[in-house]
Amino acid sequence: MRSSTRKEKIWWAIISVLVLIYALFPVASIFATSFKTPSDLTSGKFLPTNWTGENYEQILVGSAQDLFLPALRNSIGITVIATFIAVVLATLCAYAIARLNFPGKKLILTTALAVSIFPVISIVTPLFNLWRNIGLYDTWPGLIIPYLSLTLPISIWTLAAFFRQIPWELEQAAQVDGATSWQAFRKAIVPLAAPGVFTTAIIAFFIAWNDFVYGISLTSTEAARPVPAALAFFTGASQFQSPTGAISAAAIIVTIPIVLLVLFFQRQIVSGLTQGAVKG
Amino acid sequence: MSSTTTNKRSHAADKPAKQVHSDRVKAERRLGWYLAGPAFVVMLAVTLYPILQAFVESLFSLRLTAPDQSEFIWFANYITVLTDVVWWRDLGVTLLITVITVTVELVLGFALALVMHKAIKSLRGLLRTAILVPYGIITVVSAYAWFYAFDINSGYINSWFSWLPFISPDLNWFADTWTALFVIMASEIWKTTPFISLLLLAGLAQVPGELTEAAEVDGATWWERMRRVVIPNMKAAIMVAVLFRALDAFRIFDNVFIMTNGEQGTEVLSLLAYRTSITRLEIGLGSAISVLLFICVLLIAFAAIKLFKVDLSGTTGDK
Amino acid sequence: MSTQIGKGPRAHSRGRRLAATIGSLVISATLLTGCGPERSAPTLTWYINPDAGGQAELAKRCTEAANGDYFIETSLLPRDAAAQREQLARRLAAGDNSLDIMSIDPPFIPELSLFLEPVPEDVAERTTENTLEGALAGAMWQDELVTVPFWANTQILWYRESVAEAANLDMSQPVTWDQIMEAAENQNKDLGVQGGAAESMTVWVNALIESAGGEILRNPGAPADQLELGLTSEAGRETARIIGTIGDKGLGGPGLATSNENDSLTGFQTDDGSFMVNYPFVWPALNAAVEAGTLEQSVLDDVGWALYPRVSEDQPTAPPLGGINLGVGAESDHPELAYDAIECIVQPEYQTYYFLTNGNPPSNSEAYEDPRIEEEFPMASTIRESLELAAPRPQTEYYNEISSGIQQEWSPPASVEPNVTPEESEEFILAVLRGEKLL
Repeated sequence: MRSSTRKEKIWWAIISVLVLIYALFPVASIFATSFKTPSDLTSGKFLPTNWTGENYEQILVGSAQDLFLPALRNSIGITVIATFIAVVLATLCAYAIARLNFPGKKLILTTALAVSIFPVISIVTPLFNLWRNIGLYDTWPGLIIPYLSLTLPISIWTLAAFFRQIPWELEQAAQVDGATSWQAFRKAIVPLAAPGVFTTAIIAFFIAWNDFVYGISLTSTEAARPVPAALAFFTGASQFQSPTGAISAAAIIVTIPIVLLVLFFQRQIVSGLTQGAVKG
Repeated sequence: MSSTTTNKRSHAADKPAKQVHSDRVKAERRLGWYLAGPAFVVMLAVTLYPILQAFVESLFSLRLTAPDQSEFIWFANYITVLTDVVWWRDLGVTLLITVITVTVELVLGFALALVMHKAIKSLRGLLRTAILVPYGIITVVSAYAWFYAFDINSGYINSWFSWLPFISPDLNWFADTWTALFVIMASEIWKTTPFISLLLLAGLAQVPGELTEAAEVDGATWWERMRRVVIPNMKAAIMVAVLFRALDAFRIFDNVFIMTNGEQGTEVLSLLAYRTSITRLEIGLGSAISVLLFICVLLIAFAAIKLFKVDLSGTTGDK
Repeated sequence: MSTQIGKGPRAHSRGRRLAATIGSLVISATLLTGCGPERSAPTLTWYINPDAGGQAELAKRCTEAANGDYFIETSLLPRDAAAQREQLARRLAAGDNSLDIMSIDPPFIPELSLFLEPVPEDVAERTTENTLEGALAGAMWQDELVTVPFWANTQILWYRESVAEAANLDMSQPVTWDQIMEAAENQNKDLGVQGGAAESMTVWVNALIESAGGEILRNPGAPADQLELGLTSEAGRETARIIGTIGDKGLGGPGLATSNENDSLTGFQTDDGSFMVNYPFVWPALNAAVEAGTLEQSVLDDVGWALYPRVSEDQPTAPPLGGINLGVGAESDHPELAYDAIECIVQPEYQTYYFLTNGNPPSNSEAYEDPRIEEEFPMASTIRESLELAAPRPQTEYYNEISSGIQQEWSPPASVEPNVTPEESEEFILAVLRGEKLL
């Protein structure tokens, strides 16, 4: 890239500020709200008059902890397991698609595509009915299974794209050099494939973490209710008081993992999401 | 992508005798399905089976709190839904949201993609990180953030923008269809633009650099270069991005649920299906809406693929 | 899960490690839920509506009192009444045997009664001896007690004494809606009413139409396609006139079309506050705001209370009735123990405690006798009187349809027309009930 002139630098500074405002303003907004006292909420100002931690106290150690902490645990547990299963299944599937010759490849990819555009709400009713009959309603597996419909398709597509780029000849080359097939796989292929698998896991995690429809429809207690659904259940100091502060604080807490992942892995996420199209 | 599926190993497999070849092919086929089969079965099990069940249930009059009054009524539920103005109003709202959000996102997403594409090295990481934040954030969180900012009691937007002629401290955004839809769409656009911009970024990378440079040498303005060279070369990426976003926007639920719960004429189809089957526990009627919603999505996808010749084989898939 | 990633020995061990991690995660999760295996006595699950921790405390006390016969665990339901019904109905219809005790909002009792264990006669006798009339009516369905009254809620009229004075209103006498509307209009103040499309809209419509001598539902208990509504009536039109006028003239403030109980309270605390119909939680909330330094003591001193306004001078008021009754799921494994626990929970002493700590008024008249109540809630006698006069919302299995229909047609208030809205909403609701229309 040619060195940029002074004028260009100023332009880039302006553009960057605009992009930052665009991307971060709503987050900053709810961040500020989460530090407001109940009576400060109606001040009509962006920033709190007095910063207070009472909303965080309420959801972490106070009266709302019984609502928030189990939901947080459910969200983490269910999302991690759903991500893990999706990535394992997708890795096997994508490996087969990228490396093996078998009929039905196109069918699998098309199915994944069809599942990814499927209106989630359409299967909520039958799933609810089925789940209550077989006892999966309001359980972890009762959410993990439908989450696979969200995470599997994109995992398969992303990983298939990754695996197609791997120079598999390296494996053979290593074998020729005297390595066992396992060593060859581990030394030559795993280092190349691992980033793709990892990136896919992050993207699948985002999607499962985001779910709301399944969360409110297929759960009814803290046994399995994830955070997005629990947010809609928060309550204020009494039945009729609005839980604005508590919701904001909880919203910030569940946003932290997202920000951390994005902060550390932005390069991988961007390449993961753009991979297929670049190569297409 | 499908063009690159040629198996690299098949070259090596050409050499051995026919017998060995076919055995190997067979073994490879079997292995292929062993590996890919579980994912395939799971995907079908969690979608195909429920939608078939929904279809069966949609032929019944079935209310969960009155299970003994269940009755087979053929397509009466579909007639009820399709002759009701509520269905068509909700379809209209859903389509309106889809068209507006996707249009805005396409423009905004393109701008962001250009920024990411052209950004000087030192800024690239920062910009990408920032743009990925809305992508990763939970939709419900985004909905609350926008809701609280605009809400007449807890919001500050009214007092910030009270100098605008149509905004006063007394403006209740969620009391009117259009202002409520405005905030709903703003939240939706904010959250999903990064996705479209990433797909477009991938498209931008496909545009051969020589072409734009040649156009620049010929004295084409920036706008001409965009229109003549860049955009035509990205057509496939744009089409795919638009189709995926459109199908995603058509399923909008979270933002509406949190902000208005469908009141003041802001109800969308997903919410209608939810309220009918989950809130009212009218499983039969709700299933009919679910099946109709599914058919709508199929029609849109089919129309896009046939009419605009969107080539889906070259994409990564949904977000 | 662990078996699915076996590509070789190394991968296997890695897989095992991952599986172990997840395994321990799951185990620590179950441990965190807190039910240790050492309990041999049955655990009763009590589904509670959100409160300030009072029900959890009562669960603890009654568990102790049970002396090891049972343990009561609480499980939280959503915030708004309709969502609570949704959760309970879904679980009950699913035949869930964990629904031992449920906190149920009265209007949803008829629909859920099908799934409830009948109240034993002796329990019914002991628990309803001194129950206030309105609260008792809300616990019945088709002349049978199907739930046990726990606490009862009602709206009263809160007002700013300065505003009432300026309007020359004698607040010791019953006031009418027209009087407070006129006062608010003349002084350019806002009325605190709940105009949003939520359950509170039905609460408002029901209170007005009952006070005007009408009713929303003429024949409770009839099958869905034979229900007769009373919206198209003189009382219905009068109701629509009041709500429509408040909407048209902007008397409910700018947020009226989306306002709930909390929004009304917020508006009441500002300089625009005048009259407000709201529940007793207002009092502790106002006091807390003064304590937190966000509300002037002078505002609190200016607050007065009276019975819910009348529609016309010569007809009595019919305040809204809310609250919570306790029901036992028919599929519960321990119905006797559950009713035993309920008897413990609803004892007058605990109702007093619940009122004092959580601000939810007792359904038992005996519980009002504690002197601390008058100290904490100077308006306790008004609340009690209001509970005697309160009119329940329509009792029918199809309450949800009727209420949602009213919410859709009567909100926003500015759109309400006396000659149009009552009739239109009636036709709409009837069509929904006949299964001809979507809701």
